[in-house]
Amino acid sequence: MSWQRLRTLLRREARASLRDPFTVGILVAVPLLAMVLFGFVLSTEVHGLRLAVLDGDASPASRRLIGDLRATGAFTLVPVRSRDEIELGLVDGRLGGAIVVPPGFGRDLAEGRTPEVNAIYDAAEAVLAGNAEGYVRGVVAATGARLAVRRPASGGGIAVVTSVLFNPTLAGVPFMVSGTFGFVLSFLAVLITAVTIVNERMAGTFEQLQVTPATTLEILLGKLLPMGGVFALDIALMMLAAGLLLGVWPNGSAAFFWIVSALYVLTTLSMGLIFSATSATAAEAVQKTVIFSIPIVQLSGFAFPIRNMPGWLQWVTECFPATHYIRISRAIYLRGEGPLDLWPELLILAAFGALQVTVALRTMGART
Amino acid sequence: MSEPIIRTRGLSKRFGDFTAVDALDLAVEPGTIFAFLGGNGSGKSTTIRMLIGILEPTAGEIRVDGIDVVHTPRRVRDHIGYMGQKVSLYQGLSLRENVEFYAGLFGLAGAALERRWGALRERFDLAAAEGRRPEDLPAAIRQRAGLALSMLHEPRVLFLDEPTAGVDVRSRSLFWDVIQEEAAGGTTVFVTTHFVEEADSCDWVAFIDAGKLIADAPPEALRERFSDGYRVTVRGGDPRAAAAALTAAGLAVESAPDAVRGTAPGLPPGALAELERLRARQPDAHVEVQQPAMTDVFRRVLTDAPRPA
Amino acid sequence: MTAAGGRLRGWLSRVLAVAWREATLLRHDRGFVSTIIAQPILIILLYGYGLSNTPANVPWAVLDRSQSAQSRQLVQDIRHSGYFLAPTPVSGYAEGHALLRRGAVLAMLVVPAGLRRDAARGRARVQVLLDGSDPLSAARVGSYVAQIAAASAPPRRPAVREGVAPGADLPGPVDVRQRFTFNPRLADRDFFLATLVGMLLTNLCLSASSLGIVGERESGTFEQTLALPISTVEIVLGKLVPLVVLGYLVLLGTLTLQGVLFGIWPRGSLVALLVVTLPFLLASLAIGVFVSSLADTSAQAVFITVFFIMPSFVLSGIMFPYELMPEAVRPIGGLLPLRWYQIALRRIFARGGGLGDVVVPALAMLAIFAVLLAAIRWRLRPRLG
Repeated sequence: MSWQRLRTLLRREARASLRDPFTVGILVAVPLLAMVLFGFVLSTEVHGLRLAVLDGDASPASRRLIGDLRATGAFTLVPVRSRDEIELGLVDGRLGGAIVVPPGFGRDLAEGRTPEVNAIYDAAEAVLAGNAEGYVRGVVAATGARLAVRRPASGGGIAVVTSVLFNPTLAGVPFMVSGTFGFVLSFLAVLITAVTIVNERMAGTFEQLQVTPATTLEILLGKLLPMGGVFALDIALMMLAAGLLLGVWPNGSAAFFWIVSALYVLTTLSMGLIFSATSATAAEAVQKTVIFSIPIVQLSGFAFPIRNMPGWLQWVTECFPATHYIRISRAIYLRGEGPLDLWPELLILAAFGALQVTVALRTMGART
Repeated sequence: MSEPIIRTRGLSKRFGDFTAVDALDLAVEPGTIFAFLGGNGSGKSTTIRMLIGILEPTAGEIRVDGIDVVHTPRRVRDHIGYMGQKVSLYQGLSLRENVEFYAGLFGLAGAALERRWGALRERFDLAAAEGRRPEDLPAAIRQRAGLALSMLHEPRVLFLDEPTAGVDVRSRSLFWDVIQEEAAGGTTVFVTTHFVEEADSCDWVAFIDAGKLIADAPPEALRERFSDGYRVTVRGGDPRAAAAALTAAGLAVESAPDAVRGTAPGLPPGALAELERLRARQPDAHVEVQQPAMTDVFRRVLTDAPRPA
Repeated sequence: MTAAGGRLRGWLSRVLAVAWREATLLRHDRGFVSTIIAQPILIILLYGYGLSNTPANVPWAVLDRSQSAQSRQLVQDIRHSGYFLAPTPVSGYAEGHALLRRGAVLAMLVVPAGLRRDAARGRARVQVLLDGSDPLSAARVGSYVAQIAAASAPPRRPAVREGVAPGADLPGPVDVRQRFTFNPRLADRDFFLATLVGMLLTNLCLSASSLGIVGERESGTFEQTLALPISTVEIVLGKLVPLVVLGYLVLLGTLTLQGVLFGIWPRGSLVALLVVTLPFLLASLAIGVFVSSLADTSAQAVFITVFFIMPSFVLSGIMFPYELMPEAVRPIGGLLPLRWYQIALRRIFARGGGLGDVVVPALAMLAIFAVLLAAIRWRLRPRLG
């Protein structure tokens, strides 16, 4: 390892990349775009779902129920007068769901019978429907429990007081924001790296490099460190964008998050190097990256909780470094955890990092 | 006879079922210019990439300047200079910055670099191009820069892969001047090319076809074996004097109504001197020497040279 | 008539000549071919078997200060709902809170000491603390607990059957009879798979066409083609034809795979699906071609492509319903062919739509295609000087 050679390599990389406005633009703009896109445009809350209400009873009990539904703030209630209106609205897509309160609702409750409320959802939009279902069941159950006459002998139902930690308003944005770092670093960083380096190989400069005294390790570091630096900067920018534009700041230590992310970047960049070393053209590098990275990102808990997956698949996801990074990001951002809490995950991430850098060294140094 | 500075034994490279290079035995003497000729797809580039250690052979051994390239490729890097088919200048950096980069990797900097680069810049006429970027330079200047870069660290062996491809005539002749200067100074130059005439500027020629070596000799020896030979035609002047001179020169003479012709497989030593004397004595005579073209020699080599079916 | 007919024949034969050459090139690109085959299979398996928003395997903790019949019944009821794992008992609030903080549990049930007494007075109540990091999961889990608790009562009622499927009606003082139109099983999977084909086709279109033209410009064959007596539009169309054919193959393959593995077949008209796919493919490919005409190198083309794929996924509503997006942003998605295709797909798959339902999306995509074709023609015109 010659520091002088490394310095020479770094100097060239910095000069060449920074002078190309396009590359710099891409390297900075795409991660920021992703942050804004995912954080601002998407949120996994329910709001504004148009729910038709057909109140066939018009009793204090039914009005109480409807009032409770409105109070959740999750629905836009649309009073209707017939089932036909509901059906039409659902088919058209104007309605997301409907609640039908039967006549005699209040009386049944007062007399200890179990009235039946109809809830209809447009389940073509399963995500929305699932959320709505959760809310509606909860509200109906809670209201019902309050209104029902309790006979001491029957024991009756139990009311639940819910309090939410770490995100009392159940805002969807922080969850998305904390996951976006994982997406950008696990997918975009790999893609950009793979393509950039393949282009270099195609231009013949990589071959020339192989004939100089520079060792594979030096060449690897000469690529990783500058790109890593840029992405580390990106992380800081994304953190700022999330904070200033979306109002999401990390609950835990920002510095700790930044350091962990910067180290994770080295891991993903190595992945990019591996893809590029094994591809002959930019198109091939893109294909490889896409094929590998998208499933990994989807399975790493970025958007879909790992917990919901079948057991055997959950074990598979543990083999992805992205899974651990996203877990750590969320822990720091949302629950304010620190290095002492997270050391097992950090250790695993470090092990993955070492492994991938080693494999990158191997593939880059191979003489095929 | 000194030890060859480049030597291969049984060098082979297979890609799956396809054999790109088949049991090549080469020996290159130090300080010589070695031409490695062949058509597209003949295995030239594969061979050179194995020689410089960036491609691993399937079989065989390679020694360059005493170093075992197959097992310790990295150790050879300080000893060799390489110019690939695609001139490897980084876009976005000026020529000068490219020079500083490659020099830095060889540990060449400061005053030493300034001295060395100054000389090369002069020799290759690159002063005007120094501050400009490769993408803004014409191909000929890029090629000259590529050659200069390969020589920057004063290697003992230069490997040049088609250095004159796509380059104008003036630059081509400049190249060969430089190459011959280097060889005269003791550097060994291993050149691949598919401009067959360039073989005449070299000390030794090897032809490769379909991965196999089909000829391996100095250019003149190949001419002698694989051509119709030299033809000297004398018109005008005294036919008998002409005939006598040609015979003295070692040529087989035949007379024709308009001229005296002499032929020989190769040009015998002293023949040119004899012809000079003839010219001096017979100012009216018009002496023409026809040398077999290397292209024809190559064509003959391809058809005549023994090859397994 | 013959003159026009002759021109048309000439036009067609030129386009097909380019198409044939493109097809041959593609066939030999092994990486491309394996991507075409591998990606749909991979993605279908992923979304079919793995990804879901419905809570499952929920870890939770119980701080039971009452240790009464009611509390034990409640815990058992929650456990047997099928969404939750076996609970972790904790002996103190701090312990439970630490578990929540570490993300080891998603919810903590806190049962007050006086539960039995409160129940006798008809005022039983417990507390649930939720980890709000993932609001979707938290909301659903919270409401499940609320509903189960509302129905929970000590041993007089038989224990809820073991292994009851999640989502089954849980008894309560108020019965909620639910009906989910168009998707009776309410599987997230059906939601994703219905529009999956749109995502795959977009991927295909953008990466193939964008890299194709730029690669040619780099190697110089494009200039050569331009020198032939063939117009830019003809070249572009010729390049698109084999990709359109491929697109249809991917469509049919994906539909078959989804149907065979998960029983998800389009409920509506297959003809309508085939018809509306054409403008979608043309428009998406045109985006790819236009993108590549903007770029000077392959690297740039790839980056620009990524720029487009990412927002495409988000703004088109393919992964996340566009009702959830802020009002201002929704119309932007209308510029993307994927958005219109997704609407058509949902109408056909989930709601059983026919030709009439796809007219508007088809026209919208054709309009996008026409605009892009003009833009491409403008961009690729021979530059003077």
